Amino acid sequence: MDIVVAMKQVPDLQQLRIRNREPVMADVPLTFGKIDKNALEAAVLLKEEHGGEVVVVAAGSEELEDTIKEAMAAGGDRSIMLADDKAGDLDSAESAEILAQLIKQVDDCGLIIFGEGSGDNYSGQVGSRVAEKLDLPQVGSVTQIIIDGEKLRLTRSLEDSVEIVEVMMPAVVIVTADLNEPRIPSVSQVLKAGRKPKEIISLDELEQPAAEKTLTTLSNLAPEVNRKRITIKSVEELVEILKTEGFVGGN
Amino acid sequence: MNFDLTKEQSMIQQTAREFAEKSVAPLVEQIEASHQIPLELFKEAADLGLLAIPLPEEYGGSDAGYDGYVLALEQIGRFSASLSMAIMAHVLGLSMINTFANDEQKQMSLPPGCRGEHITSFAFTEPGTGSDPKQLTSTARREGDYYILNGTKRFITNAAYPGYMGVVFKEAESGKLTTFLIDKKAEGYSTSEPLEKIAMNGGQLLDLYFNDCKVPAANMIGQVGEGFYHLQAGIGYGKLGISAFCLGLAQAGFDAGMEYATQKMHRGTPIGVKFQAIQLMIAEMYEKLEAARLVLYKAATNANKNSRNNPAVFARDCAAAKDIVSHTAREIVGICMDIHSSYGLMKDYKVERLYREAVMMPQIESPSHIQKIIVANSILADYK
Ligand SMILES: Cc1cc2nc3c(=O)[nH]c(=O)nc-3n(C[C@H](O)[C@H](O)[C@H](O)COP(=O)(O)OP(=O)(O)OC[C@H]3O[C@@H](n4cnc5c(N)ncnc54)[C@H](O)[C@@H]3O)c2cc1C
Repeated sequence: MDIVVAMKQVPDLQQLRIRNREPVMADVPLTFGKIDKNALEAAVLLKEEHGGEVVVVAAGSEELEDTIKEAMAAGGDRSIMLADDKAGDLDSAESAEILAQLIKQVDDCGLIIFGEGSGDNYSGQVGSRVAEKLDLPQVGSVTQIIIDGEKLRLTRSLEDSVEIVEVMMPAVVIVTADLNEPRIPSVSQVLKAGRKPKEIISLDELEQPAAEKTLTTLSNLAPEVNRKRITIKSVEELVEILKTEGFVGGN
Repeated sequence: MNFDLTKEQSMIQQTAREFAEKSVAPLVEQIEASHQIPLELFKEAADLGLLAIPLPEEYGGSDAGYDGYVLALEQIGRFSASLSMAIMAHVLGLSMINTFANDEQKQMSLPPGCRGEHITSFAFTEPGTGSDPKQLTSTARREGDYYILNGTKRFITNAAYPGYMGVVFKEAESGKLTTFLIDKKAEGYSTSEPLEKIAMNGGQLLDLYFNDCKVPAANMIGQVGEGFYHLQAGIGYGKLGISAFCLGLAQAGFDAGMEYATQKMHRGTPIGVKFQAIQLMIAEMYEKLEAARLVLYKAATNANKNSRNNPAVFARDCAAAKDIVSHTAREIVGICMDIHSSYGLMKDYKVERLYREAVMMPQIESPSHIQKIIVANSILADYK
């Protein structure tokens, strides 16, 4: 049984700079979203325990062919990707349609893992949409995955409680960042990454055309931060100001 | 001319950066206070392939070239000069063995070195000299199938860790430089206590004593009289390593300088925004860092082919890079100190340690004058 992980290529947020509240994209390298790396780590751990292959599916601009090496170095065994410069800015509906078609190419797919939200726009829709398209059960907010025969036992961490659910495979599992600490790929894994099997298609080669874009981003601005720049001369003064601002004391 | 890193190069850089940020950074103070690098840290680095980046896969290395090595060690150098120094001496030793030793010697020493079970050393310096091969006094005297080694080696990195070391002696009969591969557990070999230095005390430095130390003649690397080539190539590899972590040190100086310049306020405005004097220092740090980085990356890339095929050019490139980058580190950290002013002298500020470390850099792996002599001789050779 193979495990599929869907990963989204996003700008490396650590290297992103904000000017006039707008992100400056020039020269920012591409990588995978943080939670997608947790999803991959979960898949690799399961593979190490139960066997099978970890298949990474992804859709994005042509640089994906390079970015996918990160996933291969971190334990992915092969990849199926749509790499097309016309697919650099997909919305959730488009992504879901494409990913569902890519996942259908995996014959013995027991489990499909998604991160809860992508590193860039975090719409948090793609996993659910794909489950719907593939007519598979889905479980979200997952912090632990145990394979038990034909079933999955999943721990969901909710705001006030922890829920354990069981679901038959194949299923879509949507994980949060808390479930593991992704491994650091070793140098030799890095060098082997580019040699792992990959299938690459373009938008024209999709069996069914990708859904029409339904969403238009009008603006994408960093929140405004207004520093108060208050200078204080004593602890008493600090406490007084914190009280006035409502950070300490009072109700 | 393409200045972009390949995906693999940037991933190697990222692997080293993550290791440095997650595993090294939290231990820096402990390493300096205890004068020791925890052995688990070497193990972790080895598991990631970071202790043998340029070594061939067949001996357990990663085969990622000296460019990959330099990119990785730069990242570790941003946090710990002590650990970087140990890795640099280890890779120097392994690289020298890989270039010159026979297969049996390589099988014996490279795989445990690549796995991090052994930490390798290379010893040339003596109390009398660290730059002049003619003044070596340690001797290797043949006795049947063995050599008897006598003498003192000074300032040797990694000498207390288990593993092998390449040591250059004068072969007694011929008076010629000759290198031996010696197990650091050999009988007749002992060390001093770690020497106290101005900084980088985590990276231990010891004196070595050879007192009728008996090693099989089969442990000789190459032939009698080839020690100078081992030295020349070995310190070439060493200079690439030092330059790499000096670049990391310079980057750390730049980062600490920028942090202070943008956070220290003068009447409500950060000093870096308010004062042109600080802005000039920022520009100077940036320019120096850029120049040093280009020189080093080029030397490292060329080292992949030249270290074996063109040793004279390799020696020149490494000497020039080391001279430029080690001084750059000292200059940038000096500017960073000036941006901090008195605060920089306080132990609470990172630049205090960086400054003590940066002072050391031009002196290690032969001093600046010697680098310039190597560079000048290489240029003058074309004018003969
Ligand atoms: C942290 C650290 C780690 C080290 N690790 C090792 C190690 O692992 N293995 C090892 O073998 N050594 C090691 N060393 C030793 C180091 O490489 C030597 O100390 C260095 O090469 C300089 O040698 P020296 O101190 O004997 O100086 P010398 O060579 O005696 O030089 C003294 C001065 O004279 C000048 N000078 C010398 N010769 C000439 C010349 N021909 N022309 C012009 N000027 C000249 C030099 O530039 C310098 O200013 C280490 C040193 C340190 C500090």
